[in-house]
Amino acid sequence: MSDSLMCSTEFCNAGWSEVLTHMSPYGYANFGIAFGLGLSVVGAAWGIWLTGSSLVGAAIKAPRIRSKNLISVIFCEATAIYGVIMAIILANKVKKPDLQGDGLPENWDWHGYYYAGYGMFSAGLSVGLTNIASGVSVGIAGSSCAIGDAQDPSLFVKVLIVEIFASALGIFGIIVGIIQSNACNFPIQALEN
Amino acid sequence: MATPAPETPPGNMATFNILHGFPEAIVRGMRSSFLLDADYHHLTQCETLDDVKLNLTESDYSESVSDMATLTPTSLQAAAVNKLVTEFKYLRTQTIEPLSTFLDFITYEYMIENVMLLLKGTLSGRDINELIAQCHPLGMFKESTMRSIPTFESNAKGYADLYQTVLVDTPVGPYFSMFLQESHDRVGGEVRNVLEEVEIEIIKSSLIKYWLEDFGNFVSSLGGESATMMGELLAVRADTNAINITLNSFGTPLNEPAMRQSDRKRLYPALGYLYPAGTSMLIDVADEDGLGRCLELFPQYSSIWNVHLVGGGDKSIDDAFYERDVQMLELAFEGQMHFGVFYAYIKLKEQEIRNLVWITECILQQQKEEINKFVPVFSQHAPWRSKKR
Repeated sequence: MSDSLMCSTEFCNAGWSEVLTHMSPYGYANFGIAFGLGLSVVGAAWGIWLTGSSLVGAAIKAPRIRSKNLISVIFCEATAIYGVIMAIILANKVKKPDLQGDGLPENWDWHGYYYAGYGMFSAGLSVGLTNIASGVSVGIAGSSCAIGDAQDPSLFVKVLIVEIFASALGIFGIIVGIIQSNACNFPIQALEN
Repeated sequence: MATPAPETPPGNMATFNILHGFPEAIVRGMRSSFLLDADYHHLTQCETLDDVKLNLTESDYSESVSDMATLTPTSLQAAAVNKLVTEFKYLRTQTIEPLSTFLDFITYEYMIENVMLLLKGTLSGRDINELIAQCHPLGMFKESTMRSIPTFESNAKGYADLYQTVLVDTPVGPYFSMFLQESHDRVGGEVRNVLEEVEIEIIKSSLIKYWLEDFGNFVSSLGGESATMMGELLAVRADTNAINITLNSFGTPLNEPAMRQSDRKRLYPALGYLYPAGTSMLIDVADEDGLGRCLELFPQYSSIWNVHLVGGGDKSIDDAFYERDVQMLELAFEGQMHFGVFYAYIKLKEQEIRNLVWITECILQQQKEEINKFVPVFSQHAPWRSKKR
């Protein structure tokens, strides 16, 4: 029992807190970028095939709905664009340190270093998870919009309002993500003390 | 007989469209092809069948009636049924499991009807070609299969031979084998010739019963919204069958006390709101009063039964059943992402075809006072809709 708490090699971790803090902030930041972009695209794609299949089927008997209902697809696409925007913002903040030699110096800005890593990871998750929800709900609403529009043209604008509210969820995600990542800056050089 | 449960369930709101979004959207698009109140109004105002043809060219039936020289009720029915069959076959080719099995189940009913038509037709000695022409297109077998059905004798041994050689390969084979099993158990291997005419009706009711139960099991294995919607529709279907069997058995040998327990009981399907308490009461019902007392306990059927009691030429119990069916089938279009719309579309189209045939028959026979006794589909003036205003 006590053996498991003693480190047998020099690179082991003494506990879970060390596992988390030993993961490099650069790793956290880049995973945040990947999650933000990847999950947003999953949500957008989910929404597009939900609405696209109904749109194609309903347009067989009512060809006039083809152009108007592409708006639903565009709303889904917008959630993917939020993910791309967030990913580009975050990717520009990840900077390689301008140092010589091995390891980080003693007067490294550790606070800013870790803050940047965690901040970018959570910003990516904020955007990604909200965009999955937004994409799916826009997709389901868009599918009903296409089918309803084929029967009664006056329904289109009404269901579109539902879709607008659904896509607002993705906007929440990117707003919060930008706020979270604003103060994140990876230090490039050691602090001047 | 159990059709295996589907490997991929239809899915909920978020996943239904992967496999079934396209066919569902096609069916919902085809909803716009139903005749409107205005169309029915114009049709009932027509004086001759040529006017009817003119009016139909403005509706979705324009292609079907365009190559008809003169319109008759039978030719209109044939053209409308062919249009429905074309649409159904198009849908069927676009679908994937489990929706394709679902659509196949809908056709089994027509297959059973065709088999019974051929068997009954040879009893009365009609020509095979004439019978094949009358078969419903959705339930056709291979030509050779259909031609060989009337060649069998209409007794227990004949039916067993019919099953072994012809029907075992068809989708309705399992139902026939269960019927043979049951009649073998009942009779103990002897041949009964007493009720040859009634026997055909019993065969048909038994086959429909097995088909309903199989369909019901399949539908409940689908789960989710499809199971809820279709479960309701099949339950009322089974109840309609049970009530009709009981009602039609009054005055026939099937209604004798000895026969009721053994034979009539076996015809009631094992699903529906009347099962099991209602059907066990129906077994002992001897006349219409008893049937009325039994149905009083089920509020959804007591109102329909009252229509029958009021009687007269205005509305029969079949009309009441049609009205109730149309109301429920229209409700199947309300929710999205379930299989009920496919079944509802076919049944509502059939109702529309019945309406068209009724209207043209009334015009042909110059019975204008009867012409409004049809049940329009998706009508704004339906009794359950007007209550809101």
